[in-house]
Amino acid sequence: MSDPGSGTSARRVGGADRVTGAQRFTADIALGDVLHVALVRLDCGRAAIEAIDASAAGEIDGIVRVFTAKDFGDPMPRFGPRFADRPVIASGEVKYHGDPVAAVVGTSREAAARGADAVEVGFVELPGVYTIDDALDPNSSLVVDPNLREPDDPLRHTNVRQRWEWGWGDVDSIEADHVIEETYRFPMVTHFSIEPHAFIAAPEAGGVAVWSSIQHPYILQRTLAQMLDLPISKVRIHAPDPGGGFGGKGYPKYEPLVAMMALALGRPVRLVLSLEETFQAVRRTNARLRLRSGFAADGELLFVDSVADFLMGAYADIAPRVISKSTYYAAGPYKARAVRALARGLVSHTTPSTAFRGFGAPQTTWAIESQMDAAARALGIDGVEIRLRNLAGRGEEIVVGDRPADGDWRQSLRIAADEVGWGEMLPPGHGRGIAVGLKASATAGASYCILRILHDGSVVLIAGTSDMGQGARTILTQLVSETLGVPMERVSLVMGDTAVVPFDYSTSASRSTVFMGSAVVDACQKAITDLVGRFCEHHGLPVEEVRFSPGEVTVAGTSHTIPQVLKDIFGGVPGEIIAAGSQRGEGVAGHPLGGPAAFYEFSCTASEVAVDLDTGDFELVKHITVADVGKAINPQHVEMQDEGAAVMGLGHTLMEHLILDEQGRIVNLGALDYRIPTFKDLPTSMKSVLVENGDGPGPGGAKGSGEGGLLATSPAIAAAISQATGVVIRDLPLTPERVWQALHNAEGELREEETTEGKHSEDQ
Amino acid sequence: MTDSGDPDRRTTDFEYHRPDSLAEASELLGRDNAVALAGGTDLLVAIRRRKRRPAVIVDLKSVREIGDDIEVEGDHLRIGGRVVMSRLTRSELVSAHFPALALAASVVGSVQIRNRATLAGNLCNASPAADTAPVLLAHSATVTISGSYSTQRVPLGGFFVGPGATVLGPAEVVTSIEIPLPATRIGSAFGRVTRRRGVDLASVNLACVVEPSGKVRFGFGAVGPTPLVAEATLADLATDDGWSRLLAVTSPISDVRASADYRRAMLEIHSRRALRTAVEQLDVAS
Amino acid sequence: MTLGQLTVTLEVNGARRRVDVPASMTLLEMVRTRLGLTGSKECCSEGECGACTMIVDGEPINSCLMLAVEAEGSRVTTIEGLGAGGMTRLQESFLEAGAVQCGFCIPGMVMAATALLERVPKPSGAEVREALSGNLCRCGGYARICSAVVDATRAERSNV
Repeated sequence: MSDPGSGTSARRVGGADRVTGAQRFTADIALGDVLHVALVRLDCGRAAIEAIDASAAGEIDGIVRVFTAKDFGDPMPRFGPRFADRPVIASGEVKYHGDPVAAVVGTSREAAARGADAVEVGFVELPGVYTIDDALDPNSSLVVDPNLREPDDPLRHTNVRQRWEWGWGDVDSIEADHVIEETYRFPMVTHFSIEPHAFIAAPEAGGVAVWSSIQHPYILQRTLAQMLDLPISKVRIHAPDPGGGFGGKGYPKYEPLVAMMALALGRPVRLVLSLEETFQAVRRTNARLRLRSGFAADGELLFVDSVADFLMGAYADIAPRVISKSTYYAAGPYKARAVRALARGLVSHTTPSTAFRGFGAPQTTWAIESQMDAAARALGIDGVEIRLRNLAGRGEEIVVGDRPADGDWRQSLRIAADEVGWGEMLPPGHGRGIAVGLKASATAGASYCILRILHDGSVVLIAGTSDMGQGARTILTQLVSETLGVPMERVSLVMGDTAVVPFDYSTSASRSTVFMGSAVVDACQKAITDLVGRFCEHHGLPVEEVRFSPGEVTVAGTSHTIPQVLKDIFGGVPGEIIAAGSQRGEGVAGHPLGGPAAFYEFSCTASEVAVDLDTGDFELVKHITVADVGKAINPQHVEMQDEGAAVMGLGHTLMEHLILDEQGRIVNLGALDYRIPTFKDLPTSMKSVLVENGDGPGPGGAKGSGEGGLLATSPAIAAAISQATGVVIRDLPLTPERVWQALHNAEGELREEETTEGKHSEDQ
Repeated sequence: MTDSGDPDRRTTDFEYHRPDSLAEASELLGRDNAVALAGGTDLLVAIRRRKRRPAVIVDLKSVREIGDDIEVEGDHLRIGGRVVMSRLTRSELVSAHFPALALAASVVGSVQIRNRATLAGNLCNASPAADTAPVLLAHSATVTISGSYSTQRVPLGGFFVGPGATVLGPAEVVTSIEIPLPATRIGSAFGRVTRRRGVDLASVNLACVVEPSGKVRFGFGAVGPTPLVAEATLADLATDDGWSRLLAVTSPISDVRASADYRRAMLEIHSRRALRTAVEQLDVAS
Repeated sequence: MTLGQLTVTLEVNGARRRVDVPASMTLLEMVRTRLGLTGSKECCSEGECGACTMIVDGEPINSCLMLAVEAEGSRVTTIEGLGAGGMTRLQESFLEAGAVQCGFCIPGMVMAATALLERVPKPSGAEVREALSGNLCRCGGYARICSAVVDATRAERSNV
């Protein structure tokens, strides 16, 4: 039996299934009678579709039907969380490498694949917009048809889909002793969950049932209801635990396609993407950030003047929110007297970018922290000192008029510095770097849950958080166990079925501990009130004389266990206590982001590297992350998430980038040439430290976590390399080749200049 | 311009055979669009990616003339065509005589890959970046090629013809690889450059063998259309000119893994380091 | 012989099975779709991620790179075949060490680790990392997975 209390590392609920292979992910679900889908994709970037000939495919044994754009209605139905821009399937034009032009349905996977192979598509490659410069070039073709944009959008004849301006104060009036002006680039990377996306749809009861590896089942439910013209109650989403999400499985992708095909055929239909197809389906929004930062001689940050260009894909998905939410904090976690920030969301003929752990903050942090280090070097100030000087203290504003800093951020910085041995002697070729990152949590949303205390005192919690590895099941069970005083083994959790489970806005923005956790505690407290009330009524006692503490009801010195109470109040006819809990954040009308963040996720990363100056190769000697979490309801879960985030951060810092050729095709498509960190890429020494000051809005003072560990990875390691080598690199990833190029010219001789950049990658 | 579907669609229909004799294997391989299957770690990927669409697959793993042994035979070590990489890494004979080969075999893929991938298959796949090729070239290895009617032994240096291409005829297989046992003690080393510390294909790989006479033999990979071999002496390699002449046989290109400049630079740096290691080994042995 | 249709007879998790398969079907596909054992996962299908790892004739291999017919006469163990209805010491250790996040890579990790422990009963951390380097985890749980394997060998009960 495990100790149920908050703050204990109770064993993962659902862990045994994962470790024995019993866990059913979406692709493991076998519906009888299911048909299989294979997508037809072309080996090109942007192209005009001239003709699709499915006759040969139709002759193949086992092929049921081939669907193309014309099968979905005119006008083509479109969807998307921000703009309804994404078609069910490519219509008239391939908008990015991998945009599916046809869906072949067969009685087996092999048949469908053979069918897809036999579909002949006539197409003509068109000039495409593949880079930030392409998108900003007024002569480039338009990615989005102006008629599909708002008529009063002044930008509709450009590839700027949306722009934002943030700021306060008057940047131009400030005299700075030192101005740093630089450009930073963050590459195109992809989520690479080990579970490829999977979708199943089946007609059901006058509506449709969909199984999807989706992180936000209720958003999917609403989207499908609108597109299929069904009441929400007739759309049932089954959401098996995703095998990794990281934001890439947040918003609908191929569910509308699969649902429409299932309804058209009157049979269940299944689509499981290949890994390559997932690379083509989702990615992080890459960016180019030009920052001009003004500092006083003592290191005080006076102003930030920035232009941030984010390259979204062919469809906006949730990327506009990624951009607005991250660039809004233009000075990061620092106090600045004035800020002027322009952010642009550019569309391109590339994979639609979507949410990805960190939600824009890794990109902005790369720039903001690199600037801070540039200032430190220019002014001769220590990297920790300059940050201590500028970090907002608890209660100080980081954006004028908005939620102030809600943690002791300097404490995290000091801990990280201490852990990495900041200031100690370094052997030759070694360097240290430190950086901080900030991400704002959810600004609005709602979580509901239902709690049932069954007549033997065991409990069922019905809650819609998606457990994709972060341990939602465990901590929600812990909260119930601790609040009611029921052992964890007697609590069952029902998740993942919108027909049964009440509304949860999303599993994102590190919000679930706070929002759903609070809803769960709310439900427990209501259940307790109900239980005690009925007990009093049964015994004719005044409520004031009866006390509840976890596991028991006490009156006049005698205590009764919950099962005893239930037996009392329900007598011969069994019953149960049912309570609904909720937590809503309404947001604030008129606020640029819909409302202030519920809390800030603040993280610090400190790194030590050892560089081989001849080859550019370097070893990560030490890597420290410090997470300000308020309260760790399950410390082990929080640590494993933070470590995991740190490792993921090593990905875009050291090795990950999607490489496009001139025709916009992804060259390194697949696991062979898109490298993510492995066991052997771990730092020699890695540590994750949790700071628990009980200063969050969630149960026990919890904040959310899980994104912090990858916010500041890049600038910390880049700063360490700078210290070791004297070169400054402003493009990611920091591959051995890039470091070598920064250090050497083409003849292999060591460069003489202090601060140089390697050859820029294409602005992809 | 048309396109008949997705290039990396997996499946295709084919016949599968598992002959137990070389004669039968050779006859099957002579059929139209037939390919040999050993470990499958290259072939199945190629089929999935639509680079190969065979009609007939001939599984060589039961062919009795293709041996499964690592043994000393006279003045050379013979490695059977069926021997997998993990056997090489665990073989005392290989560690004793050709430690650089054990090392090269240990970086081919992962444990799972090494349990299936054969040394012979790695050579027949003829990737310019094959990790075992530079070592074998530096050790003057030969391959025994057998068909229906003939068997011949070919120096490895003459085996590779181009990227993915060898001198193997359509109905021929490699039945074994032979490495001459060094007549004297030697020093050897293996080096490679990758994009990450984890499992990766090499951007550059190389091996060198040094004899007490001062003769040096290098094998280079991923810096030309095939794995390459070059010879020099320690005296030559005491000068920059000597290094230029040694490396002149290579022609690195830029691709998704690395740029030509970087390859060129890494090739020289790692070659020099490998030579130092090999020489140290030789000195220690004396 | 019908083009591409074959019968393969093999032992899976201790039970003798006889399965009709197309020649092109991989061992992974056969186990998942014909035998209903969905514990082994499909991710890259190219031998790069290890999610499909099974133990065949005592050695860990990528089942996505093996044709089902190549397994004729072989002994195959999948994740479902461990622990005889319960969990092995290694699997328990994964849970205790906090090594399990989303869980999708875990069957492959457990199989690769099980095979390692059969060959090297008390591996060092470096040996574990090397033996599992063909298994990718995007949740980044590597450090704890490594600890889980090392800790499993310290149990008093016999391992695996």
